[in-house]
This record gives sequence, structure tokens and C-alpha cells, in this order.
Amino acid sequence: MIRIVTLAPFDEGDIGFLCKTLYRSFGIGTEHQGDRALPRKAELPDGRFDALKLLDDAPPVRAYADDKVVYLTDVELANPKGPLGEPPAWGHALQGGERALVSTFRFKPRGVTEASIEVYRRRLARECIHFIGHLWDLHHCYDARCAMHPSWSPSLPDDPEFELDAFCRDKSERRIRLAKT
Amino acid sequence: MVTVGAVRTPGKRERAEKKEEEVPSAGGTIAASSDLKAGDRVVYPKQGVYRVTGLEQKDIAGQRLEFVRMTREEDGASVLVPLGKVATIGLRRVASADDIEGVFHYLGASYDDPELDWKVRHRDNVERLIAGGVLGVAEVVKGLHSLSRLRPLPAKERELYDSSRHLLVNEISVALGVPAVIAEDYIDYALMPPAGVKLPLKTPPTPVELKGPPWKRKKPVAAEDEDDLGLAELGIDLGAIEGAAVGESEESEEGEAEGEKASAEGSEEEAVPLPKVPPPARAAMPPPRVAPLPKKGAPPAKAPAPVKKAAPPAKKPAPRAKKAPPPAKKPAPPAKKAPPPAKKPAPKKAAPAKKPARPAKGKKK
Repeated sequence: MIRIVTLAPFDEGDIGFLCKTLYRSFGIGTEHQGDRALPRKAELPDGRFDALKLLDDAPPVRAYADDKVVYLTDVELANPKGPLGEPPAWGHALQGGERALVSTFRFKPRGVTEASIEVYRRRLARECIHFIGHLWDLHHCYDARCAMHPSWSPSLPDDPEFELDAFCRDKSERRIRLAKT
Repeated sequence: MVTVGAVRTPGKRERAEKKEEEVPSAGGTIAASSDLKAGDRVVYPKQGVYRVTGLEQKDIAGQRLEFVRMTREEDGASVLVPLGKVATIGLRRVASADDIEGVFHYLGASYDDPELDWKVRHRDNVERLIAGGVLGVAEVVKGLHSLSRLRPLPAKERELYDSSRHLLVNEISVALGVPAVIAEDYIDYALMPPAGVKLPLKTPPTPVELKGPPWKRKKPVAAEDEDDLGLAELGIDLGAIEGAAVGESEESEEGEAEGEKASAEGSEEEAVPLPKVPPPARAAMPPPRVAPLPKKGAPPAKAPAPVKKAAPPAKKPAPRAKKAPPPAKKPAPPAKKAPPPAKKPAPKKAAPAKKPARPAKGKKK
């Protein structure tokens, strides 16, 4: 089961679209678990939120074995600085774990037109599939049409696909089949 | 262990067995079981990061053997390695922070061209994963990644790419003490930085040198090819084209009778020089053909003509074939040209002779 927890106000239509898409992508039931308060402890002096800490401090949700919990937020996230710099943070996940975090901060504004809302929803679905993919132990994919392609890649189009490619889909299906429950 | 294999000249089977057992030393390789202590973190080639749990003794087939027990950090799988085998399986220490930094500079550096021969590539990649240390794993990831930009990877290599990426992510994650997802972000940040970001890259470490024929062949072959191409374009072909063009024009200007003779000679010459063009060096070809150039005077503008080199030689025969017919119309040449046609009809005559025989058989039936 995939459980979605919102740490900020989200449109019901967007969440509905997300649930349907996740169900279609992974073949697992998806539901909105409810709203929770954003843990302010993870806030950095520059106003951004430490992605790792935010995920650690995220309010717990009742979940069972093999359940995956996705937290949605709209605050700017920060990754720890690496040897070559700080990669842009679109979210965070525990590789092969149970919890993931997705931020809509870097998305294009949702807007009010049908087209812009559609683009926003597709992007939200893509990022959720990406980080849930990490929960199923998937790695980044070189194919820009796959949802596991890095979110900041220059080869990613403005309105990227929100599906997994054949290799990643097979791998995730294998993992899901091997899951305890 | 490596020296033993080098001194003797083993048979094919022995060599194949030793290939599996013997592993060239990489940085941080554990040479003896005495180097291991409980709690040490080691990297098992192609397996991942393990933590040494301790030594164990077991009775197997009536023998008392000592093993090192190791547990994989990723999933808790445990492995027992006989003490005597510790030095031969390529165990090594987890890469240091300096090594990891070098890996990122390597990943961020531009990559010339991926190996296109899949056999060589596969052999190299397997060897790198086993013996190349963390940089070897990074080389595999980088190589396959850059290849994937040219064309989608075949299934086997896609799996290899994924597993080598998995190994790299795990080792970097352990070495830097960051979660695996962040380590993977670092890797991809180096491999495909976001638009507008310039990475502070230093000189990447030299790639691991592996034993084996592919490495020895690669560079020299590439260098020779480049040289050959450049030389051919610059000197040889220019002369050949212009010379050939001039030769044709001169022939056309000459009298018909002379032209016929010349064409006959020219046709002989053509047949000879054409095959000579590719193999001989610049020295042989240029002198004779450079001479005719100044006669025309105009050709200097043909400097770009080198590109046409290939085409003109092929076209040469065509124009002469056209010239050939005119002489054929004349009284004198027909006699000379008679022999070639005579040769052609001969086979034709033979064919028709056989043809009637077939229909005859058919009629009989």
C-alpha cells in the first residue's frame, strides 16, 4: 500500500490524480492518509529545509509491512553538500526503505488553466514515482523518458513522461513480488 | 599470488582457473587474512560492502578449516571465506575520502569515446569491476553511461550498468557517510550536471591499467587510423585528383590519333595507379602528379578538391569509357579494340551454345 501524507495544503483533484497514477504505475493500492504539520526543526538558517532531517522528523503514520509512505510538501529542500557541490533537491527517499519526501517547490506554478494544471499534476506524479522507485530499490536511469531519470537532468523535457521504462518497471515489479506481504 | 602465475607458463585450463582466482592488486587490497579484524569494513568485488564479523572454525569433510565471516551491510547476507582464499578474492578496504573525490572528478570529466566493440567492452568492464577498485567501478558506470547516450544499452549491459551503479552508490555512501540516495545524487550531479552549472573539476586520476590485449591494442590502433586519415587527405589525394584531372584534359587536347594511343596507354596507366594509391606512402605518389598541376594554373583553387578525391578516381574510368567508344568508331582503333570485345563475346558464345542444349532436353521431355 502506498500512503500519501500531505505536509501542506494540496488540491483534492491533484491528490486524486496522483493516487490513480501511482496505482497504475506500481499496481499497488494508494490512498491519501491525511494532512500533517510540517516539522519546523528541519528548517535551516537560510529558510530551506534539510531534506534528510525533514524526512526523519516527519510525523509518523500508521503503516504495515511493505507499506510505502510519501510525504508531500511545498517547501524548498536542501541536500548535504557533496564533493562537487550541492545537487538540487526535489525530494528524498530511503533507498529500499519505507518513507519518501517530495517537494513541489521547484515545479512550474500550478496556474489556473487546464493545461498548466495538467503539467503540474504530471510532474507531481513523476516525482512521486521517482522517489517511490527509490523505495523499491531502483537507481537512477539514463533514459530521459523514464521517471527514474534525475529530476534536474538537462536532457529532461519541460513536461517529462511520468512512467518507468521497461527495465525499471521489471525491476520494481520483481521487488514488489518479493515483498513480504 | 600474481607472481606465481607470471613465472610459470600454465596450460589453457590452468590459466582459465587462475583468471578466476588471481586478481591484480588494486589500491587498499587486503593481501593476507591477518589484515582483517572484527568490525572492519571491506569491499568484496562485485558484491558490495561487507563488515567482518570474526573468525570461525568449521569441520568440513573431516578437515578443520578456518573461515572469516563477513556480513553484507546492505541486506545482512553473510559470507564465509576460507582464510587461505582471503588474499585471492580481491577484498579491499572501503575507499578513502580522497579516492572518492578522485572518482567524482573522473565522473565529471569529459569522456572521449566509449568502447564500441562489445566483446572488448564486456571483458574490460568485468575486469575493472573485479580488480579496478572504486575507480574501476566508476569507469564502468561512466563508460556505459556515455555509451547509453549514443544508443540504448542491450539488456545484459543495462543490468551491468545497474549493478555497477549499485556498487558505486553503496561504496560512496559508506565512504562519505551519506544515505544511498544522496550518494546517487552526487554521482549524477557529476555525470549530468544541471543546465548552467559548471563543476569545479580537477585533473581526474589516471584510469586503472588492466592486463589484457584490449588495452594494448586500443590506443595504437586509434592513433594510426587518425594519422592515416590526415595524411591521405592532406598530400596524397590532392595530387592524385589533380594529376588525374590534368591527365584527362591533356589527353583530350591532344590529337585524336595520339589521343587514342594515349588513351590506350592511359587506360593501362589507370589500372596501375589506382591500386597503388591506397598502400603507397606520400613519397611515391606526389612527385609525378604535382608536376601537371602548374600546367593548368587554375587548379590552385582546387585546394578544397581533396574531398572529391575519392569520386574522381572512380569517375576516371567512366570518361575514358566514353572516350573509348569514339576511337571505336574510327577505322584504326577498332582493330586494337577488337581484342577486348572478342574476349567478351567468347563467353557469350559459349553460353548460347549451352542454351540450345537445354531447350533440346526440354523438348525431349
